[in-house]
Amino acid sequence: MTGGTEAGLKPASSTLGTRLAARLRGGGRPFARPYQAYLFLLPGLAVYVVFVLIPIFGTFRYSFFDWTGFSPPTFIGLANYVELTRDADFWKAIGNNAFFVIFYTLIPILLGLFLTSLMTRGRLRGLVIFRTGLFLPQVMSPVVVGIIWRWLFALDGPINELLRAVGLAAWARPWLGDFTFAPYAVGVVGSWVQYGLCMVLFIAGAQSIDEELYDAARVFGANAWQQFRHVTLPGLRQQILVAFVLTFIAALRVFDLVFVLTRSGGPGKQTLVTSILVYQQTFNRNRAGYGAAIAVVMTLIIVLVSVVVLRLQARDEARDAAITV
Amino acid sequence: MRRRVWGWALVLLLAVGMLPAQAQESITLVVWDNFTRDAEQAMIEELHAQFEAANPGVKIQRESYDTSDLTALLPRALSEPNGPDVAMINQGFSSMGALVKAGLLLPLNAYADQYGWWERYGQSLHERNSFSADGTVFAGENLYGVSNTAEVVGVYYHKALFEELGLSVPTTWDEFEALVKTIIEAGRTPIVFGSLDGWPAIHTYGAIEHAFSQPEEIDRFIYRSEGGTFNTPGNLIAAQKFVEWIDAGAFSPGFEGMDYDNATLSAFLNQEGVMWITGSWMTGTLIEQLGGEDAVGFFLVPSAVGLETPYAIGGVGLGYGIRATSQHADLAAAYIDLMTGPDAAAKLFENGFLPAVAVDASLLTEGTLTAEVVEAWNTISAGDTVGHYLDWTMPDIAADIQELMAKVVTPEQFIANVEADYTAGR
Repeated sequence: MTGGTEAGLKPASSTLGTRLAARLRGGGRPFARPYQAYLFLLPGLAVYVVFVLIPIFGTFRYSFFDWTGFSPPTFIGLANYVELTRDADFWKAIGNNAFFVIFYTLIPILLGLFLTSLMTRGRLRGLVIFRTGLFLPQVMSPVVVGIIWRWLFALDGPINELLRAVGLAAWARPWLGDFTFAPYAVGVVGSWVQYGLCMVLFIAGAQSIDEELYDAARVFGANAWQQFRHVTLPGLRQQILVAFVLTFIAALRVFDLVFVLTRSGGPGKQTLVTSILVYQQTFNRNRAGYGAAIAVVMTLIIVLVSVVVLRLQARDEARDAAITV
Repeated sequence: MRRRVWGWALVLLLAVGMLPAQAQESITLVVWDNFTRDAEQAMIEELHAQFEAANPGVKIQRESYDTSDLTALLPRALSEPNGPDVAMINQGFSSMGALVKAGLLLPLNAYADQYGWWERYGQSLHERNSFSADGTVFAGENLYGVSNTAEVVGVYYHKALFEELGLSVPTTWDEFEALVKTIIEAGRTPIVFGSLDGWPAIHTYGAIEHAFSQPEEIDRFIYRSEGGTFNTPGNLIAAQKFVEWIDAGAFSPGFEGMDYDNATLSAFLNQEGVMWITGSWMTGTLIEQLGGEDAVGFFLVPSAVGLETPYAIGGVGLGYGIRATSQHADLAAAYIDLMTGPDAAAKLFENGFLPAVAVDASLLTEGTLTAEVVEAWNTISAGDTVGHYLDWTMPDIAADIQELMAKVVTPEQFIANVEADYTAGR
C-alpha cells in the first residue's frame, strides 16, 4: 500500500506543484504563524457548522420534545425513545433496513469484486466503455432510477414480458405490489445502484497492487482463482472496508428509492424503512419530535458501525506499516 | 456620451418607479393557492384582475403549490410575520387541526355572517372546514376555511361496453352487485383498480364501505367524536365484500402492481375494464383523452342500507383561510368572497372543475359526462350524504387495506388493527 501512496503524489510535475507537494510532505516552513492555516479552513468549517452540525444538534435536541414542527415544543424527556421501543412500525422498519443491507452492501461488494477480477485480468477491448456503463447507475438521480425500475417492474413491463416470452408466465407478477416479492424487488434496484461504486473503488485499488506479486504467484503455479484469492483480495482489503461503510450507510438511510418505487413503503409495511417513517411522522403526522428521535437512533447506529470499521482499518494499516518496516 | 444617456435613463426610470408609491399607499396581499396547472393560470389571473380593479392600490402576490407541498410548507410560512395573508388549507386533524392548535389561523365566522358564506353550501360541508378554537375538536364551532371546489368519488363507466353487455346504470346495491357478476361471467374485468400507490385503495374500499354505512357512523369516526369507532357491522361487511370481489376477479388482474396515473388510467382508457371507481377530478382528463363527453358516464355507488340518496366519498376542496397575524384580514375576506363566489364558480366550471356551489342548470348539457358528475355532486350535496376519505383520521390506513387485499389479515383482523390504531390515537 505504501507504494500506492507515493505514486499518488508523483504527478506534481510543475514547479508550483512540486513546491506544494513538498509543503504537504512537511518540507520547509509552510506558514510563518501556524494559526494562519486554520484561517483557510474557516469558510468550509462555517458551511459545515451551519448546514451540518447545527441541524444535527437541533435534531438531537428536538428528540426530547413533543413538537409538531411549528408550534412551541414541550420537553418530555426520554418519552419519545420509550415510545420507540414499543413502536411495532419502527421495529418493522429497522428489520427492513437490515434486510436491505444484503442488497445494498453484500451483493454490490461481491458483484464489484467479480467485475474487478474480470476487468483487471489482461487487456479487455473497450474497457473504458464497460467501466463507464457499469458505473452509470451510481451517478444517476435515485428518482430517475426509481421511475425506470417502476416501469421495468410494471405488470406489462419488460421484466414480466420477458418471463412470458420464455415460457415462465407463471412467474410474472406485480413485483412492487406483491407482499412477498416487493422487498426483493426494491432490494435488487439498490444492488443495481450500489455495485458501480464498489466496482470503481476496487478497480482503482487493484491497479495499485504490485504486478510483481502476480508474477510471483504465477511462478508458484497459482491459477486465476488462487491469484484472486491470495493477491487481489488481500490487496483490496482497505477498499472493501470503505465500500462496506459507504454502502452500509446507504442501506440505512435509503429514502428516495423506496419513496418512488412503493410510495409509502407498501404493500402494507413490507418496504417501510426508517427514513420513510421519519418523513411520515414529521410531515404527515406533525410529530417532528418523534421523527427526530428515530433519526437520532439511526445516526447512532451508523456512527457506531463506521467507528468499528474505521478502527479495523486503522489496525490494518498499523500492521501493514509494521511489516513494511 | 452613450454612458451618460444610460445614466439619465436610469434616473428617469427610478423616478417614475417611485411615483405611484408616493401617490397612494399600496397594499400587497400575499396568497398561496393550489392552482398549479398551466390551464388554471388564466382563470385565476382574470379573477385577480377583477379584484385589483375593485380595490385600487391592492396588489396580489400569488404563489402556487401542489397539495402535499402546501401542507408541508404552510405551518412554517404561516408562522412568519410576512407569510401568506390568504392560504388554501387542507382539511383534517394533521393539516387544519394542527394549524388551529398552533394559533395560526383566523376564525372566519364573523366574515361568514357578513358575506353570507353559510348559504354557499350545506352545513355538513362547512363542518369539514371547522374546528374548535383549540384545534382539538373536528367540526367544531369555528370556521377556518371556505372552499370553491368539490369532489365526489363514484363510478365512471364505458357506455359502449354497457351497451355491448346489455347493462344499465344500477339504482340499488343488489343491481350493482349483479352487474359486477354479469361482467365477470362475460369474461371481462368489471372494475379497473391499481393499489401500488396506496391511496386509491382507500377510495375503492371506501366506496364499498360507504355503501354499507350510515352517514352518522363515518362522521363520528372521522371527527373522532363520541362513539366514534371503526368496528361497525358496515365496515366488516364491506371488508368481506371487498375480499370476495378480489377473489371473484372484480378488479384488474395484478392490481397490486398498478399505479394510478399510468397503469390504472390506461387500463380504463383501453377498455381493459368496464368501470373505474375514482374521483370527479378525473373528468377533465377522461374527456380530453377520449376526445369527448359521450364515451364515458358517471354514477354513484348505490346504498346497501336503504338510504334515499347514495352515500358517497366526497367533499369540498382545500378551503381558503386567513393567517391569524395578517394585517389585511378584511381585505383577505373580500378576496375569499370573490374566489368562492358565483363568478369564480362559473370560471371554475368552464375550466373543468366541479364548483362547490351548485352550478346553474343552464350551463349543463344533458347526458354529458360533465353534467352527470355535477348532478352526482348536487345529489349528495342536497341530500347531505357527502362521505369522507378515511385517511383524514387514519393517515396509514392504505397500508392496512393493502394487508387486507393480500390476505395477510382477515377482514376481522383488519377491523381490529384499524380500531386499535384509532383508539391509540395514531
